[in-house]
Amino acid sequence: MHQITKIAGYVTIILAVISFNFFLPRFMPGDPLSFLTGAPGMDMPIVLDEATRAKLLAYYGLDKPLLQQFADYMIKLMHGDLGWSTYYNAPVSSILAGRLKWTLLLIGTSTLLYIALGIVLGAISAWNRGGKSDVGLLLLLLSVGSFPPFFLGMLLIILFGVKLNLFPVFGAQSPFMAYSSPVEEAMDILHHLILPATTLVITHIGGVYLLMRNSMLNVIGEDYILTARAKGLAEWYILRKHAMKNALLPITTMIALRVGFMISGTILVETVFAYPGVGMLLFDAVMYRDYPLLQGAFLIITLVIIAANFVADMVYLRLDPRLRHD
Amino acid sequence: MINRRFLAVLALVVLVYSASVGVMALSVSAGTATEKVVKFAGDVPGGDWGYPSPFGFYPRGPGYIRMSFIFDTLTWKDRNGTVIPWLADSWEMSEDGRTWTFHLHHGVKWHDGEPFTAKDVQFSFDYITRHRTAFKWFQSLSYIDHVDVVDDYTAVVHLKEPFAPFLVDIAGNVPMIPEHIWKNVSDPGKFVDKRAVIGTGPFKLVKYDKEQGYYEWVANSDYFKGKPIIDRLISLSVNDAAAALLTGAIDESSFWGQRAKVASSFEDKPGFAVRWGPSYWVLKVIFNCERYPTNITAFRKALAYSINRTEIVEQVVHGYGITANTGLIHPDITGWYNPDLPDYEHNVTKAAGILDALGFIDHDGDGVREYSDGEKLEFELLTPSKFAREAELIKSQLAEVGIGVNVKVLDMSTLDDILKEGNFFLVISGHGGIANPNILQQPDWPGGTFKNETYSALYKEQRETMDPAKRRALVFQLQKIVAEELPTYALYHPRMCCIYRPEKLDTWFFTRGGVGIGIPIEMNKLVFLGEAKKGEATEGTATPSSPAPRQPGFEVVCAIAGLLTVTYLKYRVGVRRR
Repeated sequence: MHQITKIAGYVTIILAVISFNFFLPRFMPGDPLSFLTGAPGMDMPIVLDEATRAKLLAYYGLDKPLLQQFADYMIKLMHGDLGWSTYYNAPVSSILAGRLKWTLLLIGTSTLLYIALGIVLGAISAWNRGGKSDVGLLLLLLSVGSFPPFFLGMLLIILFGVKLNLFPVFGAQSPFMAYSSPVEEAMDILHHLILPATTLVITHIGGVYLLMRNSMLNVIGEDYILTARAKGLAEWYILRKHAMKNALLPITTMIALRVGFMISGTILVETVFAYPGVGMLLFDAVMYRDYPLLQGAFLIITLVIIAANFVADMVYLRLDPRLRHD
Repeated sequence: MINRRFLAVLALVVLVYSASVGVMALSVSAGTATEKVVKFAGDVPGGDWGYPSPFGFYPRGPGYIRMSFIFDTLTWKDRNGTVIPWLADSWEMSEDGRTWTFHLHHGVKWHDGEPFTAKDVQFSFDYITRHRTAFKWFQSLSYIDHVDVVDDYTAVVHLKEPFAPFLVDIAGNVPMIPEHIWKNVSDPGKFVDKRAVIGTGPFKLVKYDKEQGYYEWVANSDYFKGKPIIDRLISLSVNDAAAALLTGAIDESSFWGQRAKVASSFEDKPGFAVRWGPSYWVLKVIFNCERYPTNITAFRKALAYSINRTEIVEQVVHGYGITANTGLIHPDITGWYNPDLPDYEHNVTKAAGILDALGFIDHDGDGVREYSDGEKLEFELLTPSKFAREAELIKSQLAEVGIGVNVKVLDMSTLDDILKEGNFFLVISGHGGIANPNILQQPDWPGGTFKNETYSALYKEQRETMDPAKRRALVFQLQKIVAEELPTYALYHPRMCCIYRPEKLDTWFFTRGGVGIGIPIEMNKLVFLGEAKKGEATEGTATPSSPAPRQPGFEVVCAIAGLLTVTYLKYRVGVRRR
């Protein structure tokens, strides 16, 4: 019973989001034709006559009543068809698939790194509260973490890309490289990943670190830590088995909440490094009023967030045995 | 224990990684020695301009340019903007200007080996006119009536009415497509097959990657105008083109407006050269000619006198621009530009005088004038975020004459909607295409509040006037009306430059009047055919010298770090054992 209500809840959310994604862009001023036929600021002005305008609207199915368009969209969606992007002139699904892999790689790598580092450093910091390592870490992470990602990215590019010439300054892969082996390709991708991932790790680590530190400080004050010490357990063992395990609970929630934000939040980093991720695509889709692309992109992000929440629920159950019996 | 094993693995990964990167660097440098490759990028972030088929490119200049490497037109433009024979060797116009006979070049072949004939010309005009929603630059297509085939090498284009800019706007703009491929394609926009990029042009498409924004073309060795002087052409997506030029990732990029200031750091750098060009782009203030008080011509003139354009050029584009022709046409286009127009030089006294005479007087002494009913003379100035700095300057300049301005930043689509509805007083907007008199059709485009019957009649008349001198006089008149009626006040024309490595390719030039219907990009296909070399002076080019080879710094650092870690671990183990 409990499971069914939960699934029903997810389905309702998805349906609500789908309709929201459909109607919201259409209520914004402007339409996809502005960018197809010359919006202000475009390099070549094109004056659109009424007949051509009508033809274009009909071509993209925008001449039908809104509800009819919605029904068409839902039917297509049921068949797994996300539609055809008006600006990019390609199927939405292939555009998203092409971009999503890079976003997942970038976000996945940096998220794993900053979470792992944040947790470990937060724990060390709390364990040595007031000590040199605590104060040092606190100062360091808070100061580097307050760099705006854009600025930090530029800094890394100038330093490691231009001055030292260690890393490529743009893209996710060397252009049109003929790789002799998959290992070589993986290395090339890794080479391109390091600077943007580092930027993301540095800008996000502060939050996890602080939360972990606070959470640990609360746990350290608990009686069971005192008991463990009294039992004569090794410090390192208490830290890992007793303190960290309990301090991790709030972190899981925070991570789940962050995942969705990360997809759109990496846009600045993607821009600086010309990294072909979803964030940039989303921004362009809004600019160009590319309805099908907007709907597709937001749908994917929603699904990822829901999936992240689901995983967080599962992890929570594993971490906190008390919930299993509810 | 775990810790140590982890570190050891990490050290190993780093070692393997650095070694393979080193190998890769070696293999890359070995591969490039044999053929002449040129890599370029624009300074607009995002290198994807769509599939380079006539129906796949995004409706922007860079999209058309990428298509024009693959597809040819009947005529083309040389560096001076003169119309030159291309697929057509010669042509004749009938007395009434409605019929154009083209004599095609013999022996031209499509990339797949099929011959190009007059039937393809007929098919191309017919097909593109029928699918004009898919070919995004459809502006002039409606003038085409039909095309007759006389023989394999003679095609006759019939127009519905005389169209003076025909040779540039239609013959030099509409790409010729192969009938044998497109005749069975019903939705050309969705046809992104390999066969969709078979043209007659100097390059063939090898690879296009949408996500990465990469294009790769290879030279067409059978090209009827001769083989291109480079073997391979690559277009990349970069965010910081200056950094990419420095690292050698690209060989050429253009820079625009205030970003052109990077040129100063390249001008004396060995291995680089800089070339300057006009951008055929204008930033302007659009007035609503249907709303009180911007519908009063004298009021618009007062606003023009209050705006200090020189200050805007200095402050915003750091001098990399010129104050604009108030008649919109770029001064570089000597054939169309009318040099005798009022330019409304900044004059606060004059502006105040006009405003006083119109009855807008500051009665309460708060620095802002009032309407006769006592309401404050205040407007919203709408602008996209790109031109917010210009808007803030104009706000402070108008404040000096007692006009209150609130700057409101909007996104382009919203602004477009507002302009179409006419729901504004002042809007800042920028666009290209000012090398071509077509832009005068609606001088306040993308707004549409300027309606003047004399003007429209003159515009139509110049469009149908085939005599160049007579047409020129009419275009002069149109500019005069724009400058005097002021439906829009042109602010500045930015300059642009291209920075390149001459050892890779040194034939770059900016086409007068722009490529095709007026694209200001330095990517005329003649650049790659080496035509510019003939009689080309070496103005502005620095002495070329070879760039430093890529230093193996990263690999060395990694290797050292790895070695240090391993040594440290060994040391630790040793300490433990003791």
